[in-house]
Amino acid sequence: MRALVIDDSRAMRRIVGTILKDFGYEVREAADGRLALDVLEEGFVPDLCCIDWNMPVMDGLQFVFAVRANPVYRQVTLMMVTTESETGQIVKALAAGAHEYLIKPFTADAMRDKLALLGLLPEGVTA
Amino acid sequence: MSLQQAQPISALLDPATVQSIADEVWPSLVGDGEAFVPVPVAPPAEVVSAWVTITGPWSGSVVLTCAPATAQALTENVLMTRPPTVVDDEDVADALGELANVLGGNIKSVLPGESKLGLPQIGSAPTRGRLDDVCALVGQWRGNFLTITVQGAAPAQHSSGTEVPQ
Repeated sequence: MRALVIDDSRAMRRIVGTILKDFGYEVREAADGRLALDVLEEGFVPDLCCIDWNMPVMDGLQFVFAVRANPVYRQVTLMMVTTESETGQIVKALAAGAHEYLIKPFTADAMRDKLALLGLLPEGVTA
Repeated sequence: MSLQQAQPISALLDPATVQSIADEVWPSLVGDGEAFVPVPVAPPAEVVSAWVTITGPWSGSVVLTCAPATAQALTENVLMTRPPTVVDDEDVADALGELANVLGGNIKSVLPGESKLGLPQIGSAPTRGRLDDVCALVGQWRGNFLTITVQGAAPAQHSSGTEVPQ
């Protein structure tokens, strides 16, 4: 399985990426939504995108809109991974086309639970 | 100005709530078993701060302040680096900024109304506003001085920080 981790913080990209690699994912990273779209256009179409909300250039919500506007990427699962935890923000992201929402700070167990809910836990990883 | 806008942070947030947020942030970002301990120690001669702004019914900043050496040690933990890997200034700005970002995002979520979170900045802490518009948690990490301060914006606040580079 493949994942694209989109966050302007290298530290957070490393944390999320390490968890996903431990689960067996092939991981690529992008520092904002625009760079993430570049990765998709290069041909790396992941099973899962983990998307921060507040980023420069193109934020996470704009990225969700952009991906959902392109039918080529309809199989990509979008999960917001963000500190934006108000109900209104969660509703906004889900309405835009995000599938799941993980609030920072989180644990590896919380990430595993979300992946299990999405049916994206690689074989061999215990739910 | 509405009644809500006039409320200082001390009427909206208490140190116990900030501590409970720190209790979740530290193990997740800094590492298993790591904690912000609310027991003050002597402040260092030199400090560095990372912060995010909150703009909404209440406006101000969430500021994390510590000694440069503590910032470096925090960064090594957040990035899980092992010798001989050395963290640089960009790493420190990124890691300290992300700690401030996660603290700030969670503090924003307990404030009334809809607010906007700014991008992390690092440098000398922004000037405080009203004296009563502060909720400060003074403590330590591994015995090193560390503060988490939620402070109102000063009128025409001047920022001496730089946005954390991407």
